[in-house]
Amino acid sequence: MSFGSAYTTLPDFEYHKPTSLEEVIGLMKEYGDDAKLMGGGVGLIAFMKERLMSPAHVIDVKEVKELRQLSNVAGKGMSIGAAVSISELLEGGVLKKDFTVLHEALAKVADPMIRRRATLVGNLCEAIPWVDSPPALIALDATVAIAGPDGSRSVPVGSFIRGPVDIDLSPSEVVTAVEIPRVKGSESAFEKFTGGSEFSLASVAVMVSNGGKSKSAKVVYGAVNSTPVRSEEVEDAIADGITPGSVRRAAEIASEKVECVDDVLATAAYRKHLLRVITTKVLRRMMSR
Amino acid sequence: MREISVTVNGKVRKRMIKDNELLLDFLRERLEVRSVKAACWRGECGLCTVMLGGHLVKSCLVLAVEADGREVKTVEGISEDGELTPIQKAFVSHGAAQCGFCTPAWVLAAHELLKANPHPTDADLVEATAGLVCRCGTYNQIREAVAEVSESSRPGRHVRESLARA
Repeated sequence: MSFGSAYTTLPDFEYHKPTSLEEVIGLMKEYGDDAKLMGGGVGLIAFMKERLMSPAHVIDVKEVKELRQLSNVAGKGMSIGAAVSISELLEGGVLKKDFTVLHEALAKVADPMIRRRATLVGNLCEAIPWVDSPPALIALDATVAIAGPDGSRSVPVGSFIRGPVDIDLSPSEVVTAVEIPRVKGSESAFEKFTGGSEFSLASVAVMVSNGGKSKSAKVVYGAVNSTPVRSEEVEDAIADGITPGSVRRAAEIASEKVECVDDVLATAAYRKHLLRVITTKVLRRMMSR
Repeated sequence: MREISVTVNGKVRKRMIKDNELLLDFLRERLEVRSVKAACWRGECGLCTVMLGGHLVKSCLVLAVEADGREVKTVEGISEDGELTPIQKAFVSHGAAQCGFCTPAWVLAAHELLKANPHPTDADLVEATAGLVCRCGTYNQIREAVAEVSESSRPGRHVRESLARA
């Protein structure tokens, strides 16, 4: 074997560039298991180089008009097409005001050149435990819109991610968009700790809404377990407001109650320490806004 | 095999390629544009960075076929009149290259940053080049070079000021 050959070449495949969703569904129906959809390709091309994936057909969806759509309907929410790049989402600040937690999570994904190619939907569909968008999307109650030969369906992000690298999507189906409802009077924030590496060792997404009389909070942790972990106990701790006292309690509860795993990136004990740190950081930042 | 047509640094180049060919290989091997470096092959070092359709991308993570009908610019294409650009001159005068392997990518990224934002802060520079590495560690010389170009059009502030605070 010549040095590095497996990492510098791609397996043979046929490239397809459909321009409509109908064409994509037709191609997926025809090739299914032998095909992979490509948005920005930053995940797929890397996986193919390492021969973790060797699809016979690569279907580039970047120019599918239905998947290019990005709409923010006042009072309703936001729909982010599967082919919209992370840079496109960050530019113009469409997320900044109403979906702050997602803006903050995406602003620190990889680097600007990768973000120019990578898509939110691609990031989500990889379902890698340490990626940052899933906890933010779960905190925002986002759903995944799916189209297939038998029609369309919609799944909450939390159940779309079934496990590490395991999503609720059949081989002939296509994720068309991520949909995020707009919650009146909501505030949200994201925090992560990477220890200088490119992977999050722990992340937290918080959303607090003051709609009507009752307050509600959603707190989701990422990168500490095989899938994002929601903590209702931490949510209860801040339900009556984010104060110095409730921040302390929430950080304590996060560290004690949220289940963490040991893996090559960090020990469970270290992750528990990080939960205390990032919970404090994110809530203090929300308190001072 | 299929034929693609890519405008590289203003010239239309047509070649037969395989569907699984990377833009990096197309530029380096088929067109012999050697400023585009092959190093990590996995989108981490940024030394294969080129402009594709007006944006910086890492060409080891782009298929050649995706560039069909589009424009690619490499460091060879940033000068319009055959003269070195201000940032190229500043890289020379500040010694912002040691072994020089990563220099084309840094010059291209710095040139594009200064075009979009003529007076970048240190944070702007760090953010814009977050995807590039220099294993010789010439980061400070690169900062100085960018500061000089920024100051030459509005003297006395910006990058150098934030450097002093750092």
